[in-house]
Amino acid sequence: MLRQIAISCIVVVLALPAVARTRPHYGGTLRVEVEGDPWQRPGGLARRVVLDGLTAMSLDGTARPALAVEWKSENDDQRWQFRLRPGVHFHDGTTLTSANVVASLTAICGAGCPWTAIHAVGASVVFTSDSPLPNLPALLAGDNYLIALTGAGNTATPPGTVGTGPFQFGNSSNGVLILAANDNCWQGRPFLDAIEIHTHRSIHDQWLDMSIGRADLVEVPAEQLRQAHEQRLTVVASPPVSLLALTVSDSGALASPNLRASIALAVDRSSLFNVIFQKQGEITASLLPAELTGYSFLFSADRDVNRAHELRGGVPPPGLIIAAEGAPAMQLAAQRVALNLRDAGYNVQVAAAGVPQHIDLTLRRLPLESNQPQPAMESILRAAGLAIPVLEQTPAGLYKVEREILGAHLLIPLLYLPRAYAVSGRVRDLHLGPDGAPALAGASLEDAP
Amino acid sequence: MKLLCLLAMIASVLMVQPASATSGPWEQPAAALAEQIAGILGTGQAHLIIQNNSTISTDKIPAIRRALEEALKARGVQESGAESANTIRITLSENIRERLWVAEIVEGNETRLAMIRVEAGALHQEVSTSEITLHKQAVLTTTEPVLAALEIADSYVVIEPEEIVIFAHSATGWEERNHIGIGQKRPLARDPRGVIFPSPDGQGFMASVAGMACSGTYQHAAPPVDWIVHCRESDDPWLLTSPRPPDTSSAASENLNAFPIRAFYNADRNSFTGVVTPSMGTDLPPLYTAVLIPRPDGAGLLMNGIDGKVQLVEADALKPIAGTRDWGSDFAALHSGCGSGTQIVASGSGEAISDSLRAYEVPALEAIATSAPLAMDGTVTALWTALDRKSVFAVVCKPSSQGHADIYEVDRVTANCN
Repeated sequence: MLRQIAISCIVVVLALPAVARTRPHYGGTLRVEVEGDPWQRPGGLARRVVLDGLTAMSLDGTARPALAVEWKSENDDQRWQFRLRPGVHFHDGTTLTSANVVASLTAICGAGCPWTAIHAVGASVVFTSDSPLPNLPALLAGDNYLIALTGAGNTATPPGTVGTGPFQFGNSSNGVLILAANDNCWQGRPFLDAIEIHTHRSIHDQWLDMSIGRADLVEVPAEQLRQAHEQRLTVVASPPVSLLALTVSDSGALASPNLRASIALAVDRSSLFNVIFQKQGEITASLLPAELTGYSFLFSADRDVNRAHELRGGVPPPGLIIAAEGAPAMQLAAQRVALNLRDAGYNVQVAAAGVPQHIDLTLRRLPLESNQPQPAMESILRAAGLAIPVLEQTPAGLYKVEREILGAHLLIPLLYLPRAYAVSGRVRDLHLGPDGAPALAGASLEDAP
Repeated sequence: MKLLCLLAMIASVLMVQPASATSGPWEQPAAALAEQIAGILGTGQAHLIIQNNSTISTDKIPAIRRALEEALKARGVQESGAESANTIRITLSENIRERLWVAEIVEGNETRLAMIRVEAGALHQEVSTSEITLHKQAVLTTTEPVLAALEIADSYVVIEPEEIVIFAHSATGWEERNHIGIGQKRPLARDPRGVIFPSPDGQGFMASVAGMACSGTYQHAAPPVDWIVHCRESDDPWLLTSPRPPDTSSAASENLNAFPIRAFYNADRNSFTGVVTPSMGTDLPPLYTAVLIPRPDGAGLLMNGIDGKVQLVEADALKPIAGTRDWGSDFAALHSGCGSGTQIVASGSGEAISDSLRAYEVPALEAIATSAPLAMDGTVTALWTALDRKSVFAVVCKPSSQGHADIYEVDRVTANCN
């Protein structure tokens, strides 16, 4: 069943492009609508087309050259050297240098970077670390490490928006962001002349605009995929790219490992999958989806309320607070989890918005930033606040690491969710990247002049 | 002598038969997994359960089960009934890269695991039942996009987006000798294109890329060949067909070579404007590709418009060609000698991630497939007819391995008559 769902998602992704490989048309303006901020991290659409990384993620999950043309590691992956692509310019004409890159990456993560130090050495950028960083090339392809020109920006161009990508900041007013084609892009000029992004549009309004021909690309939350199909929207969906998970506090009421294990057994993933998320994505009790590992079936996703009661050991139920990050569906999911836990004897309240309090359980969406298992697992752990380098390369080794991490019950995987968009009939060759973000630089319009 | 031959045949059959009867794609992974299981369980009995979570078809499962049973037996693990205290639960799983076979070895309350990877790629077989079979042979591999290439005067002249690269023969194949910058002043396109043909006197080449025209001449044909290459800004029309005089005696070939056709290229786009010279007697829409093909009354120009429609220009009229829905933007003529003698090799991808090439004939106003698709293991980014016209060249972009640029492979595609 799960495999069928995964396959159906992939089919949707692959079915959208034209039947045969045809050359794209140049020209035209793509009209996009989004619910949030297009510059947000991770996943902001504008970030992805304005900024480039040192590496980029290919569809098969390997890191491929982008602003860096080659790289090598030394000293057991504790020293990495990335040689920059020559002749690349930022949108304002500034030449890309290793000093620019170092400044940008330092500004992004400061003291919280995965590496210990970063240096500009000639035309190369050198990363050093106290511990091995075997997945650094894949990590640098992620949304967090895109290169922006630091110190640039003024009233016309906001900070962090001058990059080397295929589109450049045009203007922004009244919630409409205009991105113009970068004629001098190192990857070649994009096919579209411009992208017009209408920001902070509700999903309802986005779909309405799509239905009356005022939008070409709108968002489809995973929980509304079924509804989108019923409304006959042309949907392009990614394979699972984010993990819905509970992060569990190891202090306060849930300091006991047995209580945390009890919580993990009490959650009913099926009801979340069937009711809240309308049977989209896949149920999981593992950190990585089956497509990446093949072993996720070894982690049982079954609910066992009796065992949850046993593990609680008759202790008077502690009062727990659960919070949810993000969209309304997440709030509904948190309420559903709270109901599950009450069945197992816990007294659970959903956190009230704006009231500072100790949170025991947080329902979050953790992005899967790669489709290589090691960097993907690292990205999830990092987003969950568990910065654990994953050095294992074999399935058996990865399984062991995952089993150990999940054994602490600080992170409880629930569902894997896809990222999806609805597209108008004008749009062609729109592919979703490994992180589910639309690759707008490769898209074109059927009716372009 | 006959007896000797017969004995040799019998001996060879006897030598081959046991291997073909027992070896298959599953024996090796079965042995590897059995080895791990035996290492955990030791010798003894166990109940064997096999579950298929992969895309392996169910009709293959009995063979896999047999292979596993035999491999376990050879290592002292005998299969027993469900009443056994030990259970080996084997799940045939997979991920996007490979197959994964997982054994859960249950002894009482304890479960231990064994896992092996199984390569997915080696298990596919294709059978061709078509009129012709296409074959490919890699000619050249580079890390820069190849727009077009020409083998001439013991050299291989390759047009890249910003350079012309001259390769010369070496003991290991083609070896880079010269890089000549094209010197574009305008930004490069995301979908760059180029063409290269021999010059009319046969002493060099003529090449076009967006906004530029280049010509090359060689000083003497014996290696090492010295090339002199000049590039200049130009909006002259590009050659679509070879300007060389006919070099065969067939009427069709004479017709095809008699009309070198040029087309104006839109340097801001990736297509031709539709203005061609000499005139075709009718207005043409903007187009990506056009090739001359023999027709009963001479030659016709088969063209692919940017609207995706494939049309034939014949007798001063544009005629739509049916059966081309699966074609990509690029195609080239292949004078294979099979069937009617000439096929169109068209690129396409269907629902596959990689592109394929397929041969078609256009006897009337419908394209009929005459070969099975030839998988190209990447994206076909350029396609043109070879100078001998008995093969076509395809440039295939293949995804890179970690830390390296994408690979561009120039493949020569030829046809065998079935």
